[in-house]
Amino acid sequence: MADTTFAGTDLPRRAEIEIDEQEVNRRKQFLEFRADDAEALKSLEPIAEQYADPVIEDLYRHFLSFDETGGFFRDPKVLERVKRLQREYFVRLTEGDYGADYVRNRLGIGTVHERIDLAPKWYLGAYSFYLRAVATRLLEAFGKEPQKAFSAFLSLMKLVFLDIGLAVETYIAARDRTMRKQQEAIRELSTPVLQIRDRLLLLPIIGVIDTHRARLITESLLRSIRANRARVVVMDVTGVATVDSKVAQHILQAVAAARLMGASVIVTGLSSNVAQSLVALGIDLGTLNTAGDLQGGIEDAERILGYRVVRAAETGRGPQLAERR
Amino acid sequence: MTGHLSEPLRACLPVREELDIVLARTCARELARRGGFPDAATEAAATAISEVARNIIVHAGMGEILLEVVKERGRRELVVLACDRGPGIPDLDRAMLDGYSTAGGLGLGLSSARRLMDEFHVVSRVGKGTVVTMKKWAA
Ligand SMILES: Nc1ncnc2c1ncn2[C@@H]1O[C@H](COP(=O)(O)OP(=O)(O)O)[C@@H](O)[C@H]1O
Ligand SMILES: [Mg+2]
Repeated sequence: MADTTFAGTDLPRRAEIEIDEQEVNRRKQFLEFRADDAEALKSLEPIAEQYADPVIEDLYRHFLSFDETGGFFRDPKVLERVKRLQREYFVRLTEGDYGADYVRNRLGIGTVHERIDLAPKWYLGAYSFYLRAVATRLLEAFGKEPQKAFSAFLSLMKLVFLDIGLAVETYIAARDRTMRKQQEAIRELSTPVLQIRDRLLLLPIIGVIDTHRARLITESLLRSIRANRARVVVMDVTGVATVDSKVAQHILQAVAAARLMGASVIVTGLSSNVAQSLVALGIDLGTLNTAGDLQGGIEDAERILGYRVVRAAETGRGPQLAERR
Repeated sequence: MTGHLSEPLRACLPVREELDIVLARTCARELARRGGFPDAATEAAATAISEVARNIIVHAGMGEILLEVVKERGRRELVVLACDRGPGIPDLDRAMLDGYSTAGGLGLGLSSARRLMDEFHVVSRVGKGTVVTMKKWAA
């Protein structure tokens, strides 16, 4: 509910989502928030000026009595600023003009809440606290005219629900974006092509090969073959649990593309279950160079490249490779 | 786990996007594990489920997979139903052939699913949809 300064730093306030004037109007229609509601709220402004401070004091006392929310305000300077901004918000609610600018501002604030990890449950709880506090104040202020207090309260509730809707959407949008980024990152991470010797690449494939990842894998494989002028690629599929016909097709396509670029591919780490699936698929394993495990695959690759593995005893040094001449 | 099945081992999963294929496989593995299926049988079923789930997405757009572990004639079975309301398969005999694909695939999905499972049955009606029923026996 407060502003950017929650965390005490200058976080960017750009919202995750864009909402245009038309969309704002549509939402107001659904909330039945009309011109007279805006008027009613505006007429509350002098009262709001009065109750803003005491309500804020109550609200922050409440926040501070819970670790989950109090933790954000340990620094007195932060607390001071947040209270000031909170006050601005409370007063803003009764200043009229709830158009696109108003919405943009609300969205920016929701983004900040998501970023500092204030979970929606606390955020919503705070709104509930606020509404209850204001309801009491309004009843007091309107004295003998409780219906007026009630009607003003309903207008305020509509506006607050508009704000809550925006905040919740910001949370969701931010989460979605984080998840998409993480997925991308995992995909990137899990398609490394490693050069293990001159002209020899290792491509360990881990996890689920969907169409998108298959494309990434093939692309980075081909790029690496070109960059390293590789002649042999060891493709290790130990980390692939299921090879269905689509995954097999992706693998075969990667192998064929590598061949076109002059590199041969050795597939290693086919589990017995996967091998059985391949047999059931009727895929001709004969066209595929395979080796039992990664070690065997690398040795095969070295043989193709003309290396020979020399035991430590033969050289007097650690295990190493000697060029076969 | 070899005792009798106390809880129903059953799941119904929507299939709309590639991620759902993974979820269907994961769920089948879990059910098979709790049903005491051997690894090889479980993985064969997981691969077959991949195939029919992918067919739903590629050829029908969306559908559902139902999984259940049942006891039939003293034997435990993983029953898989893949249902959709897609276009149906006009020539089922050809669709079952190795290498027949109308979508540029390998055309090995249905035929290999049949080989991977112990029982396999397709009912399809053009314009109505397709139901693939498959079973894998625990032993
Ligand atoms: N659920 C389905 N709905 C409609 N058509 C299907 C369905 N499943 C399979 N088919 C048809 O059967 C053909 C063979 O399927 P499949 O063996 O899995 O090969 P692929 O999926 O590689 O084309 C498909 O190309 C498609 O024409
Ligand atoms: Mg298929």
